[in-house]
Formats: sequence, C-alpha cells, structure tokens
Amino acid sequence: MSATATITMSALPSKSTIKLAPAQSHAEASSSQAQNQPPKSQKQMTKAERREQQERQRAAKAATKAAGPQPSGSNQNSAQVKKGAPPAASTSASVKKGGKGPDGKPTKDTKETTSDDSARGLRIFSHFGLPKPPGPSKGDIHPAIIRLGLQFSEFKIVGANARCIATLTAFKTVIQDYVTPPNNTLSRHLLTHLSPQITHLVSARPMSVTMGNAIRELKLEISGSDIDLPEQDAKNLLCQKIDDYISERITIADQVIQETAGTKIKDGDVILTYARSSVVEQVLVGAWDDGKQFSVVVVDSRPMLEGKKLLSVLCAMGIPCTYLLLPSIGSVITEVSTVLVGAHSLHSNGAVFSRAGTALVAMMAKQHSVPVVVCCETYKFAETIQLDSFTKNELAPAGDIFSSFPLTRSKDTLTLNKQLNLEILNPLYDLTPPSSITAVVTEVGVIPPSSISSIPLALGRTTL
Amino acid sequence: MATDSSSVANQRVVDTLAARLRRRQVVGSRETALETVLVLRQVISKARFSNIDQLVEIIRSVGRKLVEAQPKEHTVGNTVRKVLHHIREEYHTASKGTAVVSTSKDTLSIAKFVLQGQPRKQNVPQKTTLNESHDMLKENDADDPDAFARTLKPVLMEAIQDVLDELETVHDNISKNAKDHIHSDEIILTIGKSSTVEAFLKAAAPYRKYTVIVADTAPSYGGHDMAQSLSSAGISTVLVPDSSIYALMSRINKVMIGAHAILANGGMFAITGSLLVATAARAHSTPVVVCAGQFKLTPQWNLYHEYGALDFADPSSVLGFEEGNLVDKVDVVNPFYDYVRPELIDAFITNDGDHPPSSVYRLIKEAYDDEDYEL
Repeated sequence: MSATATITMSALPSKSTIKLAPAQSHAEASSSQAQNQPPKSQKQMTKAERREQQERQRAAKAATKAAGPQPSGSNQNSAQVKKGAPPAASTSASVKKGGKGPDGKPTKDTKETTSDDSARGLRIFSHFGLPKPPGPSKGDIHPAIIRLGLQFSEFKIVGANARCIATLTAFKTVIQDYVTPPNNTLSRHLLTHLSPQITHLVSARPMSVTMGNAIRELKLEISGSDIDLPEQDAKNLLCQKIDDYISERITIADQVIQETAGTKIKDGDVILTYARSSVVEQVLVGAWDDGKQFSVVVVDSRPMLEGKKLLSVLCAMGIPCTYLLLPSIGSVITEVSTVLVGAHSLHSNGAVFSRAGTALVAMMAKQHSVPVVVCCETYKFAETIQLDSFTKNELAPAGDIFSSFPLTRSKDTLTLNKQLNLEILNPLYDLTPPSSITAVVTEVGVIPPSSISSIPLALGRTTL
Repeated sequence: MATDSSSVANQRVVDTLAARLRRRQVVGSRETALETVLVLRQVISKARFSNIDQLVEIIRSVGRKLVEAQPKEHTVGNTVRKVLHHIREEYHTASKGTAVVSTSKDTLSIAKFVLQGQPRKQNVPQKTTLNESHDMLKENDADDPDAFARTLKPVLMEAIQDVLDELETVHDNISKNAKDHIHSDEIILTIGKSSTVEAFLKAAAPYRKYTVIVADTAPSYGGHDMAQSLSSAGISTVLVPDSSIYALMSRINKVMIGAHAILANGGMFAITGSLLVATAARAHSTPVVVCAGQFKLTPQWNLYHEYGALDFADPSSVLGFEEGNLVDKVDVVNPFYDYVRPELIDAFITNDGDHPPSSVYRLIKEAYDDEDYEL
C-alpha cells in the first residue's frame, strides 16, 4: 500500500518545480541581462561565471523552499519580474560580495530590495494563504488522504461542513488501516502517525476552522483511549466516536437548525441567500416540504459561482427563484423579507467569517432594515477574534478554474493571467462585522451576535 | 417652419440617430453627446427660421424625438438643453449687446434669488460684426425671411463648436489636477471601465506611485479592460472579484468611480456595483470621489428610487443558455445602472472644478435654462 503511494508521489515533485520554474527563469534571465550591461571588475570570467551560477542555483533552491512556507513567494517573485533590473543588480552585488554566503543570504537580500520596490498594495496581501501546488509528501501518506488532498486543491469538495465530514471519513479509513508498531501504545503513536497526514491536507488547502475543531476533538479522544483495550477494539471505538461527532455536531445540529430557522419563514416571504450554504439549503428545502409558500432570491458571485448549484436544487423542488449577481443586489433588496446566510466560522467578538461577498449582502440588508440570519452549527465556533478580513484569508487560484465567466464574453478579452504591473487576487472569505448581523441560529438556540462568545458555556463546557 | 427639402434632409439625419439610439448602436454618455451635437449642428445649419422661437421649437422637437428614442441615455437631452442655452445666450447678446442674467419666467424662486448677482460662467462672444450690426437683427422680416437666420447662424455655429470642444476636451480638463487628488503610496478602488477615471488615473501616474484595485464588475466585466489599460500604463494594478470589495475596503484610501448621469439632487446613475462600493466605503468612512464631465448633469430626479429607472441588460450574461434546464424556471435580473444617493458621495470632480453633491443644483441652474427642463 505505502510502496505504491510513494511511487505515485514521486511524479509530483517534478511538477512542482516546473510550476515554479517560470518565475525563477525570469529572474535568472533578467539577472544575466543585467550582468552584461554594468561593467564588472571580475578577475576571471570563468571563476565569476561559476560563482554566479552557484549563487543562482542556491537562490533558486532557497526561493523554492521559501515559496512553500511563505506564501508571499510568488507575490514577490512577480514583483521581482516587474522590477527586473534592481533586484538582479542586487543579486549580482551579493555575488560580488562573497560567493560563500549562507544559503538564505542571497534570497534575503533580493527579498529585502523587492519588498521595498514592490508596491505597498501588493505587500498588504502577502500573508494571505496563496494556492500552493501539491508538493512532495514527507513520510507515508495514506491514499485516502492523498485523494482527499487532491480533491481539496481542485475545489471538488467545498464548504466547511463537506470538508470536515470528508476529512473525518478519510481519517476513519486511516485509523482502521493503522497498525501499532511493537513497543508502542496506540494512544501515543497514532497521534504521530496522523501528523504528516494532516500536514499533507493543509498543504493542499489551508485548513478550515471546522476541520481544525474536529481534528482537535479526535486527538483528544485518541490520547484518552484506554491502553488496555485490544487494538481492534480501540480502533472501532475511535471510529464510533468519529461517527458520533459527525452525527451530533453536524447532522442532528443541522436538523435542529432547519426546524428553528424554518419557523422564521412565513408564507409570502422573499428569502435572499448568498452563494451556497449546505445548512441554508436544508432550511429552504425543509420549509418548502412543510408546505410554506415563499420565493427565493439567490445572489451569486465570482470566483466560485456556487449559487448555481443551489439554484438547481431549489428549482428541482419547484420553488420560485430569482437569480442575480452580487453587484445587482441594490435593486432587489427592498423587496426582500429575510436574508439567510451560512458561515465558515463564528468568532468570539460576534463576527462571522464566511464566503467573500457575505459582508456586502449583510451590509446592504442592514441598510434597508432587512433581518440577517446566519445559520451555523456550534462546532464552527473559533475562539479567536478577527477584526477584519485581512487577519486570515485564502486566495483561490487565478484563472478560470470555476468556469465562472459568462459565455457571452469571449475568454481572450478577459484578464485571466498575471502580467507586468497586474496582479489577480481572488480572496475566498470575508468577515461580516457583528453590527450587520441580526441573529445566529445554532442548535443551542437563536442568539444575538453579542452572545456568541458564550456558546461554549451553553454547551456545558469551558472549552469547545 | 421650414417646409422644403432641407427639412427632409434634417429629418433623415435625426431619424438615423434616433434609430441608432433605439437599437443601442450608440452607447455611452460621451459618444451619445458627441453624436447629438453633430446632428444638432447639421440641423441648425440647414434650418430656416425667422425668429428665435421658431429656432428653439425646431431644436426642441429634434431633442424630443431623440430623447424618446432612448430615454435612458440622459446626455442626449442634456446636450440639447445645453445647445438651447447657448443659443439663447447668443441671441440675447446679439439683440441687446449684454449678457442677460434671467429666465423668461417671472415667478419667484429661491434659485433665482441665489443666482442674482452671480455672473454667468459662459464667455461673452467677441463678435465685432454683430456688435456693429446688432440693430440689424431683423426678426420676422416679411421681405427677407432669412435675414434673421443669416446673421445669427455664424454665431450659433461658434456656440455649437464651443459645446463640441468642451465634449472633446473633457478628459483632459478633468485630469488637470489629478496629481493633487492622488497621493503617494495610496490604494485606490475603482470599478468598471470609465474612460474618465482611466484618464484621471493615468494623468497622475507619472507624478505619483500608487496602487489601484479594480473590481471586475460582473456581468459586464468592464473591470478587466480597465485593469489591462491601467497596468499597461505602468500603474500597479490588482484585479479582484466584486465579492471582495468589503473585505478589502479597510485598506483602501479612496474610492474613485465614474458616473453615467448626475441627477439634480446630487445623486447619480452609475454602473451596477457602484451602490455596493459607495455603501461599503461609507461603512468604513472612506471618501468616494466621482469623476464626470459637466455634460452628464441632468435636471431630473430619482427621488423614489424607481426600479424602472435602471436600464436592463441581457440576462444571458448572468445565467446563460448553457444552464438549459434552469433558464425557463428562474427569473434573472440584470440591471445595468445603480442609483447612488447623494449622501454616499463626497465629491464630484468635473471639467469645471470640484463640487460637492449639495451644489449640483446650482451647476444645473447655471448650465441650462429653466424652460428647457421639459423638452
């Protein structure tokens, strides 16, 4: 099993280096150009050439390493391309200074000059979670996790709930296939076994708060498992606990939310929803099945255009729907009675972290005194406080991976690729401040945003 | 009224433009304004009239026809009103020799009170020929019906040329003070493709180093063209989808958008998405600056936020026929313009200076004549 896994993984490293190569080759080309122009007092061309090549290779290797942990890599690489001459001159300057500098030094010098030269506008985005190519795995990764990583990085599984359930299901397979090595206990070694799997998933796409909470619970259960239990029993118990978690915190919670929020929907209402939330979908379908007559306005937006999927589900049920794109929301908001949105996570200060665009919808609704109701399970609660959407965010890959541009506009008139002076960013999330939210419907009740910090208390424990 | 072949030629020219407006072969505020001025020039040069009222009626009927063809292109009506205003100016100058500051109505109005004592901004033409022969401005001359027209027409042509020049240099005039409005290291947000904003930003580029964030403005995606154009001019540009406007607003220093038409209360019609941007900016106390030429000033109101005032575009750019099974089950809405209230706007930068929304009514009073508000 693991042998085949490693063989398939070896194909990937070359892909990742190829992907980074274009940015690097630009820098190299510009540096070699700069080399020809300014006069250099180099004693022997051959020795200097060799030294320069060594520096370039070291810079390339350090940049590859830096592009992994530091997502600003590609931002600054493109900034490097933009101001080709100055950083190239600094590379050559560092070559002159001393070819035997430590690995990180040449890249650090270029990074300093590029961050000075690159526009302030690009620096402010440099901490966003950039999309990374699936890198080579370290250690044995279970094939279920590899598959899940690929599904995440290609956005085949999206949505906080879906990702969490998929992760937990994959971990169940991993646990069942796990064999405790001799002289080790399951409760201690399983944790170290799971770490590289988790790292692999994070490298595919930054972890969602739901996945984080669920994995934390799982680790708690693992470390608390009884040492005297035979291995298969311990594994079965863990899988049972995972099933219980999914059932209690997600499935049954969703049903409770569906009933509670369903009472907020009356006959003749016009409900507005944004993008696609699995919980809101359930609420609307449930209310329609109960016989309530209402209509839905689905607001959608790039980059993901998820609203179309929700639209097909609702139309299949026969619910009268209106569909429009986010900028047009000002014209219909006066006709809307309630806004229902989902969330990625809730924060202690009452802010809701959700799909990019939710903040705009909530703001417009509040302006026109339309209640904004967020449907969210309690396991999405995160103890951190986020002040704005810049604290933590994720970028979708540039280009048209979601086929989100209309066919009426030909693709070559659209700007799909980065160019000189042009950066394309697609933040996936934004933060809705508590002032724009009327209420949050959870399985423990309908609470105002100011009481969100007391959710753990409501669940009867001090930590979530 | 002229009854010969010249009127037929005029008809044809007017009808052609009306047809093009109706079929939306001419779109965009500046393009329609230019076309309208050219048509009016032709009409006036061929028109036959013996007194001022006949001329005004000719132009008014042309204006009515064009406005009916496409009521959503407000600059058509604005240009007609401007030409009428210039014509009356010239006529008063020619017949009395001084610029007259009044309307023909005798009713009391606060606006009249405000305007008393304020000189009209338009130049008094230095026509020596007319000054000499102002007593020769014969109206309704029975022997020589064309005398009036003959003496007035050259002056009218000059006036129309003024209007045309203003339209052609509008971008340059607006961008004159660009570098005073944009500071170093600023991050500016803009949406859609406004040629005025584009000229403004490009004018400041050689003097200042700043970043522009462009939202791609679905479903017209004008933001893509704007981003291409700005980045090729050397301005550091970031293209983002509309959904991230609120997310990024906390880092944005000012918002700069264009307008389709500026309404009498200081509000404006602008491309869809402008209301979102202006509201988000207000929520973050970010200044909203609108770059627009004075030809966009419209003496109309949208007090009751009429839904029908927004123009509607093709729904297939929102939900195309590739979603075949949804197309007949779903209502798709694709308004082309948003109405933005004056409270959300901080300043209008026009080719005639910078004005707050609260003084737009005064600009309109100065630019147009009261009796032309209803063409």
